[in-house]
Amino acid sequence: MATIELKQVEKKFGDAYAVKPMDLTIKDGEFIVLLGPSGCGKTTTLRMISGLETVTAGQIFLNDKNVTWRHPSERDIAFVFQFYALYPHLNVRDNIAFPLQAQHESQRVIQQRVREVVDLLRIEHLLNKRPGGLSGGDKQRVALARALVRRPAAFLMDEPLGALDADLRETMRAEIRALQLRLNVTTVYVTHDQIEAMAMGDRIVVMNTAVVQQIGTPTEVYYNPANLFVAKFIGSPGMNLVQGNCAEGVIHLPGGNQYPLPDGWKNSIARGEKVIIGFRPESAHVNPNGALKGEVYASDMHGSYAMLHVNMDGDNVVHLRADRETRYPIGSSIRFDIDAAMARFFNPQNELALRKN
Amino acid sequence: MASFAETGPGRPVVESIRVDKVSPGARVTGAVRAAVVLMIAFIMLLPIFVMVETAFKTRIDVASSPPKVFFQPTLEGFVFLFTERANVSPGRMEEFKQKAATGQMNFIDQIAFQSGQEITGPSQYVGRIINSLIIAGLSTVLSVVLGTMAGYAFSRFSLPGKDDLLFFILSTRMLPAVVVTIPLFLMYRQIGLHDTHLGMILLYTVFNLSFAVWLMKGFFDEIPREYEEAALVDGYSRMQTFWKIVLPQSLSGMAATTVFCLIFAWNEYAFALMMTSEAARTAPPSIPSMLGRGGIEWSAIAAGSLGFLIPVIIVVFALRKYLLRGVTFGAIRQ
Amino acid sequence: MATATAETSATKTQPRAQVTRRQLSDRAIMNLFIWPTLILLIAFNFFPLFYSLYLSFTNYVATSPKAPTWIGVENFANILTDPKLWEAFTTSGRYVLFSVALQTIVGFSLAMLVRGKFRGSGVVTTLILIPMMLSPVVVGLFWKLIYNPNFGFFNYIIPFINPADLDVIGSRLFDKPVPYLALAGVILVDVWMWSPFVMLLVLSGLNAIPDYLYEAAAIDRASSWFQFWHITLPQVMPLLLIAVLFRTIEALKSFDLVMGMTGGGPGNQTELIAVYLYRVAFLGQFRSGYASALAYIILIIVIAISNLYIRYLNKTKGEA
Repeated sequence: MATIELKQVEKKFGDAYAVKPMDLTIKDGEFIVLLGPSGCGKTTTLRMISGLETVTAGQIFLNDKNVTWRHPSERDIAFVFQFYALYPHLNVRDNIAFPLQAQHESQRVIQQRVREVVDLLRIEHLLNKRPGGLSGGDKQRVALARALVRRPAAFLMDEPLGALDADLRETMRAEIRALQLRLNVTTVYVTHDQIEAMAMGDRIVVMNTAVVQQIGTPTEVYYNPANLFVAKFIGSPGMNLVQGNCAEGVIHLPGGNQYPLPDGWKNSIARGEKVIIGFRPESAHVNPNGALKGEVYASDMHGSYAMLHVNMDGDNVVHLRADRETRYPIGSSIRFDIDAAMARFFNPQNELALRKN
Repeated sequence: MASFAETGPGRPVVESIRVDKVSPGARVTGAVRAAVVLMIAFIMLLPIFVMVETAFKTRIDVASSPPKVFFQPTLEGFVFLFTERANVSPGRMEEFKQKAATGQMNFIDQIAFQSGQEITGPSQYVGRIINSLIIAGLSTVLSVVLGTMAGYAFSRFSLPGKDDLLFFILSTRMLPAVVVTIPLFLMYRQIGLHDTHLGMILLYTVFNLSFAVWLMKGFFDEIPREYEEAALVDGYSRMQTFWKIVLPQSLSGMAATTVFCLIFAWNEYAFALMMTSEAARTAPPSIPSMLGRGGIEWSAIAAGSLGFLIPVIIVVFALRKYLLRGVTFGAIRQ
Repeated sequence: MATATAETSATKTQPRAQVTRRQLSDRAIMNLFIWPTLILLIAFNFFPLFYSLYLSFTNYVATSPKAPTWIGVENFANILTDPKLWEAFTTSGRYVLFSVALQTIVGFSLAMLVRGKFRGSGVVTTLILIPMMLSPVVVGLFWKLIYNPNFGFFNYIIPFINPADLDVIGSRLFDKPVPYLALAGVILVDVWMWSPFVMLLVLSGLNAIPDYLYEAAAIDRASSWFQFWHITLPQVMPLLLIAVLFRTIEALKSFDLVMGMTGGGPGNQTELIAVYLYRVAFLGQFRSGYASALAYIILIIVIAISNLYIRYLNKTKGEA
């Protein structure tokens, strides 16, 4: 059981920031995801928590103990690597038993724990094999077993599913999450895949270029993104963002469109200001009498629905969900509405979300 | 005193490094390691340093015991190496002394005169070096060219008994030179190739060829066939694809092979010793025989060794990127 | 230009038919590229080997005008019962064993020391390679000077003795003969020359080991010994073996170094196989028949070992 706290933790390489000073409190038993594109600092943050990377400044606390400068093996954490990091010349059983042997546990305890963990992950059939001959999914299960066997206070995982095939990823995702819930172990999980983050996390820390963009539950991050980056990064596809000018209770959008300001926003957005409106594809509805119009640019079939790419004017292509029965020929004109309750607004200058008044 | 685990290192860490590697213990280990490495590097280079020093010592300095570390450098060794000298006859002694005094003697002649000798012409060694240059250079070119061609063929075409052939080719390279020279010596004597440049060039070429073929085959194996296939589909002939597409990509492999062949041919001693006597003799067998010609001419030997080393160093430095690959027979990429 | 109607693939099997007169067919190219090499190799390898085989059954002496006469296996019988030959074999055996073992240990240790990149490690590595690039005969000659009791510096760094008392090349200490001293001197030089080679190979193996293995070991609190034995050593082993095999074969061939340094002496203390063979074939007696027989025996031994080496090398390259 563990709480993890980062206080003003930062990492610099020379003069460049890899992670700008950040604060983060992780509750006991929480599954927190560090999410972001390559180079955003998420892996560096994870490695700092584990001790594989030193901090340039700031402090890291595990269960209220300052572990900032403690040896990685003294932090009561287990680390799961993207490329498994299994000892190639030991068989699976010895790989799993190893962390306990290094701590000089008794043979009885070792055997018992190994058996527990092997049962949990259903890998008995692999015990005598060497890592070299295993499939990716199996290797990852072994890596998980090795991490579990120590019963650490916290799990740290660095894109563990990154090297797996897509369908295997989905299965493993569910397995890891189920495992974590069952054992109630605090977990810090790094990924660049926002679908994974949304599916697994209790809370998500969205990062970009060394800076934390938003910390929140999947719901918060999806429905109330704190800035343009989060709005665009979360969701597939990301939130539609269109810039317009605010006039008398109405926003003038490209393509000659006008969108009436919904209630509750009238005071937040001043007249004459530029504003960005954001809406997700599923909150836009095709409606022959709709307020907004555009031209169909492309349409993808997505199984139970169609995703339309609609050109509002040249530079602004938005995505709308539509039913898959109706045909929307390319080049045809289309009208649609945006659900007022789901609309969001952003300040183009500082990219932050505006608040309802 | 607060421990490292509590306070961390004194100053902010701005490089990528693990927590346990910045502890004071780790820093000390790092420093000790660096010191040991430097010490070892020094020991390794000491004999070479001795050689370089000796090349610039006078005869007297060389023969001093304990060996002198500091001394007045001179080019005596080089002069002895590259020139033939004769003792100045008493009759002409005065004439020479005068020339020396009035500064009419050039600097090389002066050195010879310091030992009471005058220069009569270039020494045998000059000719030997030239032989080395010709023989090593030409044989390297030949073995690399032929090796590239054969390596390509072995790589791209299937031949009956290919693997066995390659193995046989390679294993002959593993024999002690003496084993091979016994029959070759007799053969050469019959054909009249003994002690000829052609004979030596052919011999070195063949000896290097097995390696060159094997190395180049390995390099060609690594160039994907898709390039040639695409070119052939586009209408190029086999030969054209070889010239325009495959060969340019194999240049680094050829450089590695060249380094290897050149070092061998240049430094080769055994064959040169047994298969030549005067006309085609290269430098390596000549250097030891400078011992015991009117005294032990260590400085000349050192000068010769040094001079002999320099071309190798130049070539190796120029091709240093390919050195690793060449010297380990393609086992490692850099 | 070809008007290839069918897809042409970079072929392993079917030679393409000539499409236009101006192009060379695959077969022609193959022949053109291979035959010069094959001819040279046949002339210089096959031919001498058969000639040599023939000679080994004769009593031919190269300096006498007499033609070779067949004496059957007499040469071989003499060889196998010649005590001097067995001495040469044991001397070579000792040389190979100690030389390769020491080179491996020193080279490996050096690689472990140098592996952490520090400033100038590239330069140092290049410098350490210089001994390898020298002509062995020159190196031997040089160390002859270094070992010289009067003007060489080696004796000055040996503690507890007066420099003039030790003569490595002459194999004497305090004017009494010391067995194997000269051989040890030769071995030392060989180790000096070739440890960098081992270092190089091992170093490239070390650098290929992924960091995350060591990181996992750090988190698991694995001891340094465990990390060495289970992570470092297995990854480096293939390259180490290549180095050992190669150096073994080369050590068996060793000739130049000894010739430059001791000439095989004192007596026959440093008379390696190749040196012994040289003395028999080219110095003094020129007993070509006898020497050929000896050469053949050596040939077979070397081919057996190099067979191992090449197979192993190919296997490693296949995995690379």
